[in-house]
Amino acid sequence: MPVVSFSVAGRDNCVVVGGTAYVYATVKGRGFVMNAQCPHRGGPLHLADVTADGSQLVCPWHERKTATARLRGRIPSVRTGKRVTAVIPDQPVSRGYAAAAVCGGATSREHRPLSPSITTPVTES
Amino acid sequence: MSRVPQHVPFELGGAALRDAIIQYATNPIYLDADDWQNHDNPYRRQLRPQILPHLDFDRVPGRENILDYPSLAAQRLLTTIYEADLVFFPKSGLKGKEEDFRAFYSPSNRALGEKIRPALERYAFGFLDDEVETSGKWTKASLDSYLDSLEMNGGDEQSPAERAILGSADPRRAARMWLVQFTADFLSEASPMLRNVLGYYGPTQSEWFKVIIDEYGYGVHDTKHSTLFERTLTSVGLRTDVHRYWQYYLNSSLLLNNYFHYLGKNHEHFFRYVGALFYTESSLVDFCRRADRLLREVFGDSVDTEYFTEHIHIDQHHGRMAREKILDPLIEAHGEGIIPDIVRGIEEYRVLLDVSDGDFSAQISWMDDQPELKKLHGPVYEAIREGRVEAPVAHLVEPFNELSNTHCHEGDELCHIVSGTMRFESGLDSSLILEAGEGVVIKRNRLHGADILSDECVYEIHSVGDYRSCLL
Repeated sequence: MPVVSFSVAGRDNCVVVGGTAYVYATVKGRGFVMNAQCPHRGGPLHLADVTADGSQLVCPWHERKTATARLRGRIPSVRTGKRVTAVIPDQPVSRGYAAAAVCGGATSREHRPLSPSITTPVTES
Repeated sequence: MSRVPQHVPFELGGAALRDAIIQYATNPIYLDADDWQNHDNPYRRQLRPQILPHLDFDRVPGRENILDYPSLAAQRLLTTIYEADLVFFPKSGLKGKEEDFRAFYSPSNRALGEKIRPALERYAFGFLDDEVETSGKWTKASLDSYLDSLEMNGGDEQSPAERAILGSADPRRAARMWLVQFTADFLSEASPMLRNVLGYYGPTQSEWFKVIIDEYGYGVHDTKHSTLFERTLTSVGLRTDVHRYWQYYLNSSLLLNNYFHYLGKNHEHFFRYVGALFYTESSLVDFCRRADRLLREVFGDSVDTEYFTEHIHIDQHHGRMAREKILDPLIEAHGEGIIPDIVRGIEEYRVLLDVSDGDFSAQISWMDDQPELKKLHGPVYEAIREGRVEAPVAHLVEPFNELSNTHCHEGDELCHIVSGTMRFESGLDSSLILEAGEGVVIKRNRLHGADILSDECVYEIHSVGDYRSCLL
């Protein structure tokens, strides 16, 4: 399983492994690594809104809701300061929408804007 | 059934916490010393109780403030509290120190320490809750991938602390200061680890014990790791009595050592300890190889480095044992739910190493820069005198041999001598003599103290915040 480290905010806040993009999101003060694509039709989940109770992310394309708990539970990760290390599953974690296969794929980093609802508050250190 | 009173968990905060801390720290064995070093008395630790009424231990500092004075005070307190569980005797025997011995191990001292320990631990280690956060479903397979990806060995690349020693204006002084930072840990080596040997928890307990058998030299005192370390200290002219150099311990050195006591004392953190243990044992091999090389480069062949060369060998086994015999069987027995705590322990320890590297490197620069910082007194004092900078000022008058035990400040300060003579201490074997009209810039978070060499010394401390603003 590929292990990747990337920034939780700013430049290079998104890692692309085998064609699947992952970002670090924070909902209700708790962070997690998630697939940046909506499982419905591959919409930009990194730009999702969050329901008032924090239980679901709402994709901006078709307002498809995805449970935060499900996203939170998928990708094992550990954040240390402003960097996060994630262990990417060998199988693509998106359901429904056909993402590229992960196994053996290249890894790259890029910037993806996050919606304010899932942005990690940045503190000075 | 008779009515059961409601259970109220123990919690201490606010004025009650402050009062309890003061009650603990005013034990006569914890008062200020009139010498920079302690003399073969493991019970004497300077806790500066006179400052404690002014500190707030309720608000947990973030990482950016973890080297401020309240944290140093908390770490000194915690070291003292934790070590009441360990046995120490003066090398020269108890004679004449019986009262201190009883004061340190008395039920009163121990009870007062235990009462304030949870609040101090929250203060000292609370920043790690923000600094390290695990998420997602960790499996044994994902943990294996993560562990395999860790760069634990560092290879030949020097750490910032090692670079600071070799790049110092006085590498021997810097290396001695470095070794002193380890004495709180290495002289009572593996004591925190022993906290996890007690109890009854299956085959892993015996594997844990095997690591300790190595640390303790198989009952042969000459091969006990602390004995090897004593030889290293002696070979470079340092003394080996416990906490002789108490006043020279950096905040982060105590933080690192206390972290293992914290995890070992509070068994709900057992799995975090397992993670930190794995990382320590696995990363020590290359560290010790570099330490051996560094000490030889600095001191030549006269330095005894067997402590480090022994670890190069034995920790290759300990790293493997920690993973295969402790970590893996624990997951097998207790399930994958313990993995996030194991990962957390690994990452927390790495954070602490980073903090420690930065703290030590900054202290060596601070020691090296003393002549420059003395020269900077002129322009900084001028800026204050001309009113270009306004800074709160404290006017102090102190008598001969008044020793301001080591401490640090939350911002830069300027020390200005009005009359008399002061020895300004900035580290082991690092000091300035300041006469009337002279002074020194005191940098934020840097450990320092002062001794009055004249009958009386009148001086001022200007809290300038950032001294560079005085140079604009």
